[in-house]
Amino acid sequence: MSEAILSNETKGLINKNVIIEAKNLSVAFEAHTVLKNVDLFVEKGETLVLIGPSGQGKTVLLKTLAGLIEPTAGTLSLYHKQWRGLPENEKIKILDKMGMLFQKNALFDSLSCGENIAFPLREKTQKSELEIQEIVDYFLESVGIIHAKNLYPEEISGGMQKRLGIARALALMPELIFYDDPTAGLDPITSKKIIELILELKKKNNATVIAITNDMNRAYQMADRIAMVYQQNLIITGNVEETKKHSNPAVHQFIKGELLGPLNSSFENL
Amino acid sequence: MKAIFFFFDDFGSSIIFLKDILKTMIFRPCSRRLVFEQIWQVTIQSLPTTAMAGFFVGAIMTVQFAMQVSEFGALPYLGGLATSGTIREIGPLLIAFMLSGKVGAYTSAELGTMRVTEQIDAIRCLGADPIQEIILPRFIGIIISSFFLLTIGLIMSVVGGVILGYFFSGINPEEYVRHIPTILAWPSLLSGLIKCLTFAVVLATICTYKGYFTTGGAKGVGRSVVSTAVTTMMSIVVADWGTSFVGEIIINMCKDYFL
Repeated sequence: MSEAILSNETKGLINKNVIIEAKNLSVAFEAHTVLKNVDLFVEKGETLVLIGPSGQGKTVLLKTLAGLIEPTAGTLSLYHKQWRGLPENEKIKILDKMGMLFQKNALFDSLSCGENIAFPLREKTQKSELEIQEIVDYFLESVGIIHAKNLYPEEISGGMQKRLGIARALALMPELIFYDDPTAGLDPITSKKIIELILELKKKNNATVIAITNDMNRAYQMADRIAMVYQQNLIITGNVEETKKHSNPAVHQFIKGELLGPLNSSFENL
Repeated sequence: MKAIFFFFDDFGSSIIFLKDILKTMIFRPCSRRLVFEQIWQVTIQSLPTTAMAGFFVGAIMTVQFAMQVSEFGALPYLGGLATSGTIREIGPLLIAFMLSGKVGAYTSAELGTMRVTEQIDAIRCLGADPIQEIILPRFIGIIISSFFLLTIGLIMSVVGGVILGYFFSGINPEEYVRHIPTILAWPSLLSGLIKCLTFAVVLATICTYKGYFTTGGAKGVGRSVVSTAVTTMMSIVVADWGTSFVGEIIINMCKDYFL
């Protein structure tokens, strides 16, 4: 099922709030097609969670929506502007509204934790050093790692690195935040805390969130809508209740974590 | 056939990349602090090795020339011949080779690691321009420091020539230096310096390009470093031929004024 089957009336209603719109989006790397004819829209303020088996292109889709990967075909509209061919200064204006937590955090290893958060503030704002330090302290406190301010990313644990990544992604108070597997490699309690933190910060900034996770409990905890990346396409499964009752056998197998089903052939092809 | 296509594709991409760097340099210059940091880092890292390489290049040339010219009783001209050969040709070439292995490989590995660990994407996502933030300071820094290092290397080659001339052939240092201007004219010196600048630009472009477009994890970083070293050395040889050719024309044009 794709966004394309929505009625025109519904489309009209949601268009006003739509900040990301992808139509027939395809992404390929040389001969390898990762995504094919994906249709998707994301409304302001919603939380869309992307799920799906490993290697199906979730990260590629997230990076494409964030403007980091150029689609090979189709159109991508961010904040009602066509991304392809947009002048660099216009792109930067849109990127200023975004924040992203990368799968492996992508922290600047040559900067301390505090400086990692200060980096976007120094680059993009005219704030004084005192103000910057106040903001850095506020975010480090929010994610509970104020004690690690002067440590370097390699000197802190994986969970703390994740928190630092979240704090850096949020430093400029973005309207649109992308989280690539924010709970990967974390224990269940830390995972739950991280999701609570994401939701709390989302509420505070009234932000739009697009997140990848394969942990269904965490997906249900934060999602307004869920979509599954599968076989180069996107299956919009709806809200939590709709997802749980979804008729697609691949979706059903994935969310239940069952061993038998259509996904097995996908795994064999990996 | 595929290799030829790949070569031209890569060459074209690097020219487009250079154009992007120059465009950024004009319209969105980077902070001077970042450039000075790079100049300082590259210079400090490579000064001792460059100076030592320069010293031995000059020494080798002097020993080689001494063996040849002594047969013709032209030993007094050793300083001029060895210095001219070193400054115009061998010095810039060998020192640039060394810098491509040191500065080029280091920069390519650093940028490649930033790419595969998504740090470059993170810079982009934080609304900053990676070319402006990380490429431009390195590009300018490498050009300035490499030019400086190559010049220091050439000066050290003269020092190496003087010392080896004294110990190997018994030539008085004063006599060695006195004959340098009789053979090494200003256009030759200028040609050597132009070569240094050209090699610095070639090195800065290739190592930033290769590092910035690294793909494929740790293996990819390794590939980028090797590719940087090989491509830079080949390009330096080609650039050497180009600058020698152009330099010869300039020297001939200026002969009447300087000689």
